[in-house]
Amino acid sequence: MQISVTVNGQVCQRDVEDHWTLLRLLRDGLGLTGSKEGCGAGECGACTVELNGRTVNSCLVLAVEADGGSVRTVEGEAEQGRLSRIQEAFARHHAVQCGFCTGGMVMSVRDLLQRNPQPTVREIQEGIEGNFCRCTGYAQIIEAVLDVSGQLDDSSVGDLRHV
Amino acid sequence: MTAMFRYRAPRRRDELLELLAEYGERARVLAGGTDLLGDVRSGLARPAAVVDVKLVPGFGELAWSAAEGLVIRPGVTIDDVLRDERARSSYPLLAACAQDLASHQIRNRATVVGNVVNASPCADMAPALLCLGARAVISSQDSRREVPFTEFFTGAKRTVLRAGELLEEIVVPAQSAGARGSYRKLKRIKGHDLGIVGVAAMAKDGELRLGISSCAPTPLLVDGLTTRDPVDEVVAVARAAISPISDVRCTKEYRTHMVGVYVRRAMEEVA
Repeated sequence: MQISVTVNGQVCQRDVEDHWTLLRLLRDGLGLTGSKEGCGAGECGACTVELNGRTVNSCLVLAVEADGGSVRTVEGEAEQGRLSRIQEAFARHHAVQCGFCTGGMVMSVRDLLQRNPQPTVREIQEGIEGNFCRCTGYAQIIEAVLDVSGQLDDSSVGDLRHV
Repeated sequence: MTAMFRYRAPRRRDELLELLAEYGERARVLAGGTDLLGDVRSGLARPAAVVDVKLVPGFGELAWSAAEGLVIRPGVTIDDVLRDERARSSYPLLAACAQDLASHQIRNRATVVGNVVNASPCADMAPALLCLGARAVISSQDSRREVPFTEFFTGAKRTVLRAGELLEEIVVPAQSAGARGSYRKLKRIKGHDLGIVGVAAMAKDGELRLGISSCAPTPLLVDGLTTRDPVDEVVAVARAAISPISDVRCTKEYRTHMVGVYVRRAMEEVA
């Protein structure tokens, strides 16, 4: 089926199989490999993208369902080669180790900060509840979100290792 | 996902029901897809046709009527319920169950109708709908019937829905509006785990109802209680109603114990 999807602001037309997931379209059809397939079952969140303004697990959406819609992936974050503020904060706080979760994690953080520009630690935990990270233990990710939302007090770095 | 199927997205209700009649058992309805696409991937579902309900006009709307109450159509997501101020304030129990369902990504996509049609013993929306006295309006090409949720689930992953039928509306009665509600779900971690035990409590005008998930082949309702009943008696009634199993998540003894703990907490919250 011929579909037309706006991805990171660019209109893309592709012929896809009915059973293709949106994730497959992004990765195999469009070469956008920042969204990963972890579990393929909507549990790990590594494939998180924004579809029509809402975060979704792109492994659980058919490509044909995105026809006429608008998708934003982690590749839409950096502008003209400059990392977004969220990405910079992730790098600054070592919130990336193997990097597999990072694309989806950044999309969930972006969604959280749009809804809630100054989330508490509890609200950050709730905001990334659908994203697994098996490297960091989440502490560095939470620090990065506190930092990018202007809430990081130098003395609190390190204290989060207990949350 | 290797399974092949035809994707159909009818734009009219009659066309949708015609497709469901034509494909019968070989069709699966696609709403949020969060259960279905996982089942297709794992081979549990092998539909010839996947019929998307979301493009039918009106199917994504929450409707209100003073006489009927809240009408939830097939495309209404869990997040739609949470964003609806009136649904949240009129039916706090519905919102509590919605809030506890999976993660943002899933709530943005999963539908209320899909959650009950999937009929998992741990379906989060079921305890609320059971307590609130909701009913299912089921349509096919040549019939329309109503089934209260107390009769909707027939076993683990089984419902009264027959081939060719669509759960077209969930009606949450106006009489239940304003009832106090609480939902407590035991799970290892928030966001990406199935419930181990779920207890919903609803109180209105002295009447107390409990909706329990993950403790029997189907979500179940315990009614005929009052908020004045001694807590120990309510716990005993709830424990007598369940038939938990031991599985990978926990033992039946633990489930039985935790039902008691959660019933006590839920009763305190709605008192």
